[in-house]
Amino acid sequence: MGDRPIWEQIGSSFVQHYYQVFDTDRTQLGAIYTGESCLTWEGQQFQGKAAIVEKLSSLPFTKIAHSITAQDHQPTPDSCILSMVVGQLKADDDQVLGFHQTFLLKSYSSAWVCTNEIFRLALHNL
Amino acid sequence: MAEKPVWEQIGTGFVQHYYQQFDTNRMNLADIYTDSSCLTWEGEGFQGKNAIMGKLSSLPFKTIQHSITAQDHQPTPDSCVLSMVVGQLKADEDQVMGFHQMFLLKNIDNKWICSNDVFRLALHNFGQ
Repeated sequence: MGDRPIWEQIGSSFVQHYYQVFDTDRTQLGAIYTGESCLTWEGQQFQGKAAIVEKLSSLPFTKIAHSITAQDHQPTPDSCILSMVVGQLKADDDQVLGFHQTFLLKSYSSAWVCTNEIFRLALHNL
Repeated sequence: MAEKPVWEQIGTGFVQHYYQQFDTNRMNLADIYTDSSCLTWEGEGFQGKNAIMGKLSSLPFKTIQHSITAQDHQPTPDSCVLSMVVGQLKADEDQVMGFHQMFLLKNIDNKWICSNDVFRLALHNFGQ
């Protein structure tokens, strides 16, 4: 049985960590971002760790649970890791909704940080 | 009226071109990939232009139509453009399905190529 490629190991670990922290206490996600990180949340842009953590902390739900349906990881030409997640989430007592999220991870001083993140709910025009 | 940031212009231009070509003649997509491009299609990996075009040309439908619900673009620290698309598609007479696709675009010799492409249908496990 071969080992999974390194980018898949790093990507999977990151994804697992991200949703675990998000679902328990998302104010603790600050460590994965830097001053240059970009988040696009449902079409709205946020730049830098402080703005990103503020947005995530201000999301209007008390409880949240993410369930990952599928995740894919790829190495990029600039030695980053691209991770894409498709899943479902449930906030408070709302209905279950599909979501899509993308992360670009970069290694800085031996730590993997998230430089780019995009989140969208899977809500199509009816 | 402010102009869109350049990465958004590049990303939007690419996305429009990609789905237009995909829906009319997807063999025309060869130009956007290089030998180092990676595609992950429904969890299966393909490396390089030839392998990628081999996969796209072998997809088992005659007609395909994509409809974009939302697209987001960001600049990356290495001067690439990251684009995420959420939408719906219809292949032949099949039912409409949600999909999710991500592209990483890189400028090589003054041309924007796709170095990374990840595609997934939005099919979730039922019966949680």
